[in-house]
Amino acid sequence: MSLRIENLSKSFDGGTSVLDDVSLTVAEGEFVALLGPSGSGKTTLLNAISGLLSPDRGRILLDGEDITHLPAGKRRFGMVFQSYALFRHMSVAQNVEFGLRVLKGAERPSKSARRARVAELLDLIEMGDLGDRYPAQLSGGQQQRVAMARALAIDPRLLLLDEPFSALDAQVRQTLRASVRELQRKVGVAAILVTHDQTEAFAIADRVAVMNEGLIDQIGSPEELRAAPATPFVRSFLEAGT
Amino acid sequence: MRRPLLIALAMLFAFAVIVLPVAAIFTRAFAEGAGVWLSAITAPETRAAIWLTILTALIVLPINIVFGLCAAWAIARFRFPGRRALLILIEIPFAISPIVAGLCFLLVYGAYGPVGAALQPYGLQLMFNLTGIVLVSLFVTCPFVVREVLPVLAVTGEDEERAALTLGASGWQIFSYVTFPNITWPLLYGAILATARAIGEFGAVSVVSGAIRGQTMTLPLQIELLYNDYNTTGAFAAATVLALLALVTLILRGLIAAFHPARGATS
Ligand SMILES: Nc1ncnc2c1ncn2[C@@H]1O[C@H](COP(=O)(O)OP(=O)(O)OP(=O)(O)O)[C@@H](O)[C@H]1O
Ligand SMILES: [Mg+2]
Repeated sequence: MSLRIENLSKSFDGGTSVLDDVSLTVAEGEFVALLGPSGSGKTTLLNAISGLLSPDRGRILLDGEDITHLPAGKRRFGMVFQSYALFRHMSVAQNVEFGLRVLKGAERPSKSARRARVAELLDLIEMGDLGDRYPAQLSGGQQQRVAMARALAIDPRLLLLDEPFSALDAQVRQTLRASVRELQRKVGVAAILVTHDQTEAFAIADRVAVMNEGLIDQIGSPEELRAAPATPFVRSFLEAGT
Repeated sequence: MRRPLLIALAMLFAFAVIVLPVAAIFTRAFAEGAGVWLSAITAPETRAAIWLTILTALIVLPINIVFGLCAAWAIARFRFPGRRALLILIEIPFAISPIVAGLCFLLVYGAYGPVGAALQPYGLQLMFNLTGIVLVSLFVTCPFVVREVLPVLAVTGEDEERAALTLGASGWQIFSYVTFPNITWPLLYGAILATARAIGEFGAVSVVSGAIRGQTMTLPLQIELLYNDYNTTGAFAAATVLALLALVTLILRGLIAAFHPARGATS
């Protein structure tokens, strides 16, 4: 699936715009990082894409279909939150199963099919024997992987990750970065990752979009950005990060 | 040296103010034997009062739960005009003396009040009957559930709800699978506090009950009535029933505290 964002704008309570005419495309299977300092509008853009927030202007197209006004629950986008937002009173397996359990009517897989899918996903994140644990009994890295598996369970059309590694220490962060990228390749889903960490963005993404005060200053591969920063902001932000 | 003294003082205080009076009720009630006690609490008027009190509590409980959940949810999750006002409004029943609350209801819903007068031509009477008792009991008890649920709701679960939403859950599924399990304990706790209060309420109910013997007398009113009639045995016997009802809510409250770690021994 490919995503196309056209001229998205958003302001809160009539104040200054947090997103100002943002356009962006994500190709099939591509991994794009949204990179920018705190308050630059990364989360706002991600929430607009996920449908948790409705933009004031602009369109969001998925494979050419206008989904700007489609409710979040109907988009089938897998989302991983910074806090992971695991359901604390459900076991790991129940967390992963949730998106399948809430499907309605004929769309809902049988209990055994759901169980098989959960087992498959837990194997994928290498937590096959921890299905009965509760989120509070997991390490940060494990919680992050469960959040990932839960998002993948709905067979998402797009993967959205909001600072998924920021709560982890450097060591775990690097391992998980690689494993998230590998999972995304395996599943073949396009992904957008929000981060303010330039090293992370460059390590994981095919292309990086640098955000600055509600605008995307530049989009390109890590090499392109390094070779030719388009604005003084991009140049100084990249320099500060290395 | 100071610690034993403090503990002794606390014990003495608890004994003088709590243990002694409660023990006195039971001693006095059983002074003439269990047979007399039994016939006192099964006297028709007392029986009617017990039933009315339980009935009122049973009606008030579900309304409190539904209203408390809705109000707490709205305040915790939405920003809307009047939100702060609602927050303050919910505290008012705790600030107003119950007897004043009863008078307010009488002024508005009584036969000479605007609402009461408007309903009278249709033969509807709100005060001096079960409706009136339920209305003031609701007023007196409505803050409990909100106050217990709101703080928990405010700090937990919003991210979880958003995650559930992106996973395709409907509003009802989000509430029942994600939100509700997070607030089960505070909800139960608030509901029990509210019920205990509804059972014991005297002031507000006494204003609107109309004091019809055997019909609109709740247990606390009946106890006062018996006492004023110099029927002390009857009064104390009825008081033991009220004390036992209170004991049940106390035990439930303790059980919840035991099973819900955050509620711990301090509450
Ligand atoms: N619900 C809201 N109401 C009002 N202003 C908001 C709201 N959400 C975000 N903002 C403002 O919009 C701007 C962008 O916020 P956003 O969360 O998108 O930034 P971000 O790039 O994700 O930053 P961070 O790296 O700190 O998460 C900020 O100035 C923020 O104060
Ligand atoms: Mg953010």
